[in-house]
Amino acid sequence: MTRLYDINFFVKLLAGFAMMLAAWFMPGWHYGVPLAAANVLFLALVRVPGLRGYLKGMTILVVLVIASWLVNLWVQGIAPAQGLPIAANMAARLVTTTAAFYFIMETSSPGSILAACSKAGLPPAVTLVLSLTFGIIPMLREDFERIADAQRARGMEVDNVPLHTRLRFALARGVPLLVQAIRMAHSISLSLSIYGFDMRRKRTTWRNVGLLVEPRLSLSTKDGNNGL
Amino acid sequence: MLYLDNVSVGFDDAQSALAEADLRIAEGQRLLVCGAAGSGKSTLINVAAGLIPRLVTPPHFAGTVFVNGRDIGEFTKDELFATVGIVSQNVEEQLWDLHVEDTIAFPLENRGVEKQVIRDRLAELLDSLELRALSGRRVLTLSGGERRMVAIAAALASRPSLLVLDEPTTGLDPAARGRLVRILNELADEIPALLVSDQDPASLLETIDSVALLTDGRLTPAAPADSLVREEAPWRTAGVLPPHRRREARKPVTPGETLLSVSGLRTRLARPDGRPVLEDVGFEVRTGETVALIGRNGAGKTTLFQSVLGLSRITAGDIAIGGRKTDGWTAAQRARSIAYLPQNMRRILFNMTVLEEVVFAITASTGRKDDPEAAAKATATLEKYDLGPLAEKNPFALSARQQALLGLACAEAAETPLAILDEPLLARDIRGRDLLMLFLDTMRSSGRAAMLISHDLELIDDVASRTLILDAGKIVFDGDPDAGWTSPAFRTLGWPAPYSLLGEAA
Repeated sequence: MTRLYDINFFVKLLAGFAMMLAAWFMPGWHYGVPLAAANVLFLALVRVPGLRGYLKGMTILVVLVIASWLVNLWVQGIAPAQGLPIAANMAARLVTTTAAFYFIMETSSPGSILAACSKAGLPPAVTLVLSLTFGIIPMLREDFERIADAQRARGMEVDNVPLHTRLRFALARGVPLLVQAIRMAHSISLSLSIYGFDMRRKRTTWRNVGLLVEPRLSLSTKDGNNGL
Repeated sequence: MLYLDNVSVGFDDAQSALAEADLRIAEGQRLLVCGAAGSGKSTLINVAAGLIPRLVTPPHFAGTVFVNGRDIGEFTKDELFATVGIVSQNVEEQLWDLHVEDTIAFPLENRGVEKQVIRDRLAELLDSLELRALSGRRVLTLSGGERRMVAIAAALASRPSLLVLDEPTTGLDPAARGRLVRILNELADEIPALLVSDQDPASLLETIDSVALLTDGRLTPAAPADSLVREEAPWRTAGVLPPHRRREARKPVTPGETLLSVSGLRTRLARPDGRPVLEDVGFEVRTGETVALIGRNGAGKTTLFQSVLGLSRITAGDIAIGGRKTDGWTAAQRARSIAYLPQNMRRILFNMTVLEEVVFAITASTGRKDDPEAAAKATATLEKYDLGPLAEKNPFALSARQQALLGLACAEAAETPLAILDEPLLARDIRGRDLLMLFLDTMRSSGRAAMLISHDLELIDDVASRTLILDAGKIVFDGDPDAGWTSPAFRTLGWPAPYSLLGEAA
């Protein structure tokens, strides 16, 4: 599992796009659904963090997609029995796509993305956008869970309540989450300023970057491939 | 090295945060600025580091700041922050979700330094600041003390001429404070000049040579630390507890019925070697008590209370609140009996105004937020803790100290039988200490109880009726505080006993 975290971000990104294209070009549900299932199984096997939350979200997504497509097809005169394979294939495409990018997001730290981008010689602006796009979402998810814990620790019953109340409380976390996101943006902005980030100057990296990205500084600091 | 010439800063029309401050730091000098919360320390530090007015522009700024003989306005932003290294009081404000090495190397990478040079410097800093054990870890998963050391390493990476530290001892246990001082002394060659602000002068006496006191934005001339430390009046005038103050008499306590009982508690959360963070923890808290819990950074103190509150899973043991076992209780049910105030209050605030936070604390069980009685009670409690004028402010706009006071107000207004205070950040100046004492007295006199987790051993000596020492996943001492300071369990921690500077250790 650790090695998956160490794979170069761009290799993962390429694999993610390839998986997404495969899902969208699958000829029918016979291939699309097993591919989606295989992706979800892969996430479970490699124990991607936050999988339970992802599965919950994905279940809602699958139900909504299938239901909306069945209704849409029925309005066009296609019976549900005939529409179901089409709807299932569409849901499978979305599951495969989200699973692939969820994997990239959860296994790529901002530091490893910065290293991969710097090694690739990308402009600092692109480096920053990629690091923030893929690195911040897991942080916000952690904050969302932390706010739920805060609500519990302050006596708000968010567990032992009906589903609709639970959903209402989850939505109520949006405001503090927004405040946290603003604080996070402030921290990142301060960090960039005091640590000399400059849009006009190309960055370097301390890490050895190849197909794998060095996760920690080895005791011998000499520049080498260190098996990477 | 640094010269502040007649600097004034104001964030509103009413009062200057810093008034006509003059400050000089020569090469080799190590100056401590002491003052009560809200006295203007952080403003001064931010001016010295160039954050004000370079990154934060206050409505009112006057005066000139020189670094290495040059007006700070002549520096490019990059030059300035390569010359002055800063570590903020709230260290999270300058860190994001990078790994330890990324954080330390970040200033060098951003400046395009060659890879091998960065790796050599990284290795040097990891070794000299004793951070090798943290290699490869995410900064946001480290303890507060560990984060602070990583931030100091990052500040030193570019070899600044001046290192500026804002409240560096916050959250550090006595051993970690000693380590910080030792490292700052060992790195004397790396740090041409040092400016530190803190409310705890005693911890830093061995690394600083002069002290300036700050009162309501006004700065006294720097005086030699050796002479100032023996006086009492200047510190009290500045609203700071004097480093050599006398030990205070503790109030007698008669414990009543048991409020919280924990036995055989083992956590699911484990250390890297697979051992549970807590293995066999047991203790009781009774009405009228103020029970202090001490232990090293990372001993599992916070995990213990998260387990009690049901926020961290346990694999064995019993927890009873008010004589009733909590098996099957949700975290919210437990929280209605136990108010938990973490060190970083931001973690548990989520309402839009200060008043709403207190009303929420009162009405969490009923959900009747519009109850006028609750609003009146909340307003009165806020007044009691100096927060009346801030009732309509957003809780996130408050300072760390004001947020800690808000925590006290919420806990008192909620009338929970037990309050757990995890390293309150308000007991280090005289007014903050008074308000904390007021809270503890209220809890005691109303037949409730408080648990205090703190590294401030003098505070514990002043207020605790009983001390618990947590080490190696167990409670290794449970008894009278005086007996605690001489116990083998306390000696194992290797910490100095409180008030030992006066030879008054028990």
